This record gives sequence, structure tokens and C-alpha cells, in this order.
Amino acid sequence: MRMSLVVRTTTKFISPFLVTYAAYLMVYGHLSPGGGFQAGVILAVSVILLITSHGYKRVKKSFRFREVQTIEGISALSLVLLATVGVFFGGFFYNFIRGGSFGALVSGGIVPLFNIGVALKVGAAFTFMFYMLSRWVERD
Amino acid sequence: MIPLIVALPLLTAFLIYLALPIGLRRIVKPLFLAGIFSPWFIFLILVGKSHLSEVVGGWSRVSGIEVAFDFYNVYFILAELILFSLVSLYSITYFKHRSVEKVYVLMLLMHAGLLGAFVSRDLFNYYIYMEIASVSSFALTGLSEEKGAKGAAFKYLIFSLLASYFFVFSIGLIYLKTGYLNLKLIGENFTPSRELNAALGIAFTSLLLKAGIFPLHFWLPDAHSKAPTPISALLSGIVVKAPLYGMLMLALTFPLDEFLKKALLLIAFSSMFFGIAMALLQMDAKKLLAYHTVSQLGYILLGIATLNFYGAIYHAFAHALFKGGLFLSVGTLINAQKTKNLKELTYRHDKILMMSILMLSLAIGGISPFIGAFSKKQLLNGLVGCELFYLAGIGTLVSFAKLNYYLLTPGKAERSDSLQRAVSTTLAFITLGFGIYFLPELSLKNDSLNILAALILFYVLKKMGLFRIKMKAKFGKLGREINFYSAVFALLLLLFLLKLF
Repeated sequence: MRMSLVVRTTTKFISPFLVTYAAYLMVYGHLSPGGGFQAGVILAVSVILLITSHGYKRVKKSFRFREVQTIEGISALSLVLLATVGVFFGGFFYNFIRGGSFGALVSGGIVPLFNIGVALKVGAAFTFMFYMLSRWVERD
Repeated sequence: MIPLIVALPLLTAFLIYLALPIGLRRIVKPLFLAGIFSPWFIFLILVGKSHLSEVVGGWSRVSGIEVAFDFYNVYFILAELILFSLVSLYSITYFKHRSVEKVYVLMLLMHAGLLGAFVSRDLFNYYIYMEIASVSSFALTGLSEEKGAKGAAFKYLIFSLLASYFFVFSIGLIYLKTGYLNLKLIGENFTPSRELNAALGIAFTSLLLKAGIFPLHFWLPDAHSKAPTPISALLSGIVVKAPLYGMLMLALTFPLDEFLKKALLLIAFSSMFFGIAMALLQMDAKKLLAYHTVSQLGYILLGIATLNFYGAIYHAFAHALFKGGLFLSVGTLINAQKTKNLKELTYRHDKILMMSILMLSLAIGGISPFIGAFSKKQLLNGLVGCELFYLAGIGTLVSFAKLNYYLLTPGKAERSDSLQRAVSTTLAFITLGFGIYFLPELSLKNDSLNILAALILFYVLKKMGLFRIKMKAKFGKLGREINFYSAVFALLLLLFLLKLF
């Protein structure tokens, strides 16, 4: 599945910007509209655009199946661990990092960390699902 | 402390998921067992204290998610832990897939989902965890290699998701009218209104579909009988209890409308008798047990409809143990003899399995030293229509007389796996142990009369040729069947809405 030259060039051009936007959303999620899930979806879209325009076989060489799986596992694990660490400070999911003035980037405690974890998990899971589906389609 | 009971299985599930791409296949099995057994530690720390509740993350009750550990869920959690521990041992020898890790991860997710649903006191959180458990059970049902298993899993998926969407819609209505999702705050702040009544009607109908109680039972026998044996035990034993726990929580929070109570009572009794009648006609051993689940869920609903929560909770606990045990022990025979037909199956050569199946049959029939006797006695408190209740008990015994009669006839002797046999027998002894713990006295006269009546009735029915009737599938295509049953659900929903709104 390869689309025309125009589409391939455009998606190659857009994808890095989408990744930047996703990174902005996941880091600033606790201050501005956005957050982990949206950031993850945009992160996945940047890869999915490349898959639809360049074909699964080409994209697989840059974003490996096993790497995507590892990122998903690590981010999911870090979410549960981050929540469990709170038990030592006062409760499950307890926000144990304090400090920072109101409205500053580091004022959210563990919330930005959760946003990053959720974003990576969602992005990797969506990419993984798309890999599974396009592997099915391109097999024949 | 309470949320850790959910976090530990979830943590190991993700660890197994991570162990695959980095090539650590040999730690998968120990991790799986650790994930299944670790909630026991939290449970044992918590079990001494009564009425524990906490809000996750130390937030206030309005903004946080409340979890609790008290009388209303301790037996659900205990049954869940006992069943999962034994089934995990069973499934280690049962699953010989190439990708067995997938099964383990899904089972751990189901474990976490069920525990999360049972500790939660927040409607939306309860819904989320029930969904985690259901989604893993669809996948696990579809894993079976039997013919028709994929279709059964698909049907299960469609109806379970249909029920979930209606349930989340009713949660939305409750949130709209009260402003809270926390059950305690809802209970303190609500004012009765027509909208709230309608929301309760939708919630109860959708949970009835999700639990698989009589007019909405159609997905249950297929899914529960075609799933792999350990998964059948989990589905019938504990997964169907999650919607019932939701009904229990709703009935505890809201005063139920008179019509709703009457309708639930009617549904409960019809489910009890329908399940038994259908079970009597089955020649497929697992399908017979699955139809008994429909019937036994009617008993639990009876407890909820008569606001006899003790009865409902104890019977849910008892049913989880004996139905799980029955599925495991009959499944062990099926694994060895490679057939599900009652006429070919036999336990004649295997005295241990014979004993455990007999014990569990007596337990489900409510015979006295076993746990079924205690829970049925609890259900009788404040019940009108005791005769029907006794009749249902005798009906259950008749159909288990049929099961044991066919299993007694000699056939090919195939040796079954010894670990699988040991696990099945352990569950039989656990039902006996809890029965003696709860209700030590014997009621010999009543029980012997019941068994005698059941045996006579079985003999008469056999002479009449009832067991030779064959049921045929009426639907040509799966899609048509799903459409028909969705219409049944829609009609029931409409009836509830018209009467309650």
C-alpha cells in the first residue's frame, strides 16, 4: 500500500510536527486543555499517517514491532508503580511530590508524570492495534 | 491499603506483558502465580477489621473514588480469591497453547477487574472494572478451540456491551439527578423522582442482561459451555456475580419501587424454573451446568428482590464455590475422555472424582452439611411462596440425579490429570468445610425426603422419555439470532420504562 508522491511528502512533513504537538500536550496537560489520552492519540496518529501513506512494511523498519510492545509495557508498568509508591506516603494514588507555584510547569506533582505515562501507553497501544490490523490486510 | 488488592494483579499482568518482548519467557509462570495469590496478603491484613473504607489518593469523598471492605463485599472477594487461586493451578496444566502468556495476562486482568468491581463504592468506577473483567472474558471464551466457540464469544460480546452501554446511560441519569457518583453521597442526597426511577429501571434491566437471568439469558449457556474448562468455572462462578453485586449496591442505596420489586421477584422465580427445565433437557454436560447457573442466579436475585441481602450474599458465595467446583470436576472428565456427551462420559473408574461430583451435587441441591443448605436457609427469611422455593430445590436435585445417573454408567476408562483431580476435590471439600462452619447441624429428615422425592421424580421423568427430547437450534444465522434477542431486551426495557417513568 503506497500512496502518491504528494501524500507521502506531506505526511513526512507533518508527522514531526504532530509528535511535537503531542509532547506539548502531555507535558502541559495539567495546565492547559489536553492531557495524556489526547496526547497519546496524536502521537499514534503521527505513526498511523505514515503507515497509511507509506505502507506497513516500510514503517515497520523504523518503528519496530517489539519496540512498540516494550514501550507499551514499560509505560503501563510505570503507571501502576507510580500509583503504588503513593502507599508509602499516605495512600494509593497519593500525590507525594509537592512544590512549585500555582500555574508553573512543575506545580502538578505526579500529575504530569501520569500524563506522560498515559500518553505513551495510549500512543503505543494505538500503533500496536494498527500494526495488527494492517498486518492482517497486507498479508495477502 | 484496599486499592492494592487490585494493583498487585495488574502490576504482574503488565510485568508478564513486558517480559515477552525482552525475552524472559521462563519467569512468566511464577509471575502469573504471584499475581493470582498476592491479593491474599492484603485480604488477610484487612479481614480482621470491619467497615473499612477509604477514598483513593486521600481526596475528599466528593471528588475522589471511594473503595470499601465490609460485610457486603467480603464474601464476594473471598469467593473470588478462592476460585481464582484454584483455577490458576488448574489452568497451568490445562492450557498448552503456543502463546499461553496471552491467557495468563488476560486471566490476571480479569482478576484485577473483578476485585476492583467488588471493592468499589463508586458507580462509574464499578462500571469500568466490570468492563475490564468482561473484555478479558470475551477474549478468553474465544480462545477455545471447540466448534462454535468464536460465535458464542461474539454473542457474549455483543450482549455484554449492549448491557454496559445502557448501564452507563443509567449512571449518567443518576449523576444528572443527584450530582454524585459515590453511592454513600447519592444515598444521603437524592430526592425520589420519576427520572431516578427510570434510571433504576434501565440499570436493573441492563444488569439482568449482563448477569444472564432468565428472559435475558440467551448468551449465557453457549458462552459458558463452549469456553475452556477453567474459564467456564470462572465465568459461571464469579464473573456473573459482578453485575449482581451492582444490583445489590443499587438496592442498598435506593428504596426500590413496588413494581420493580414485584417484577424482580417474578423474574427470579421464572429464572429458577426455566433454568432447571432447560437443564433437564440437555445431554451436553457443560451446557447442563450452564443452565443451572441461570437457575441459581435466580436464587440470588430472589434475595435482592425481597431485600434479604444476607441471603443474596451467602448464596452468591456458595454458588461461586460449588459451580466452580462442578465445572472443574466435570471438565476434568471431559478433558480426559474428549467428549461432552453425557451418554459417553463416565466417572465409574475414578472414585475421587465420583466423590467430589456427588458432594458438589448435594451442595447445589441444598443438602445439609454443605454450604448450599445454609445459603438456601438464609434466602427463606421473609419469603412468600416457600412452596415454589422447595419445588425449585427438588428440581435442581432431579437434574443432578440425571447428571450422576449418566456419569455412573460404565464407559471407557481414561486416566485424568492428577493435579486437575486434586483441585476439583479441594473445592468439594471447601464447600463442605464452609457448610460445617456456617451451619453445623444436620436436618436428616428434610434432606432425605428431598432426595427421595427427587429420585422418584427422576425415575418418572426417565420413564416418560423426557430425556430423549432433542432441542434444535431455530436460527439459521448468528446475526438473526442476535437481532431477535436484542428485540427481547428492548421490549423488557420498554416495559420497565413505561411502568416506572
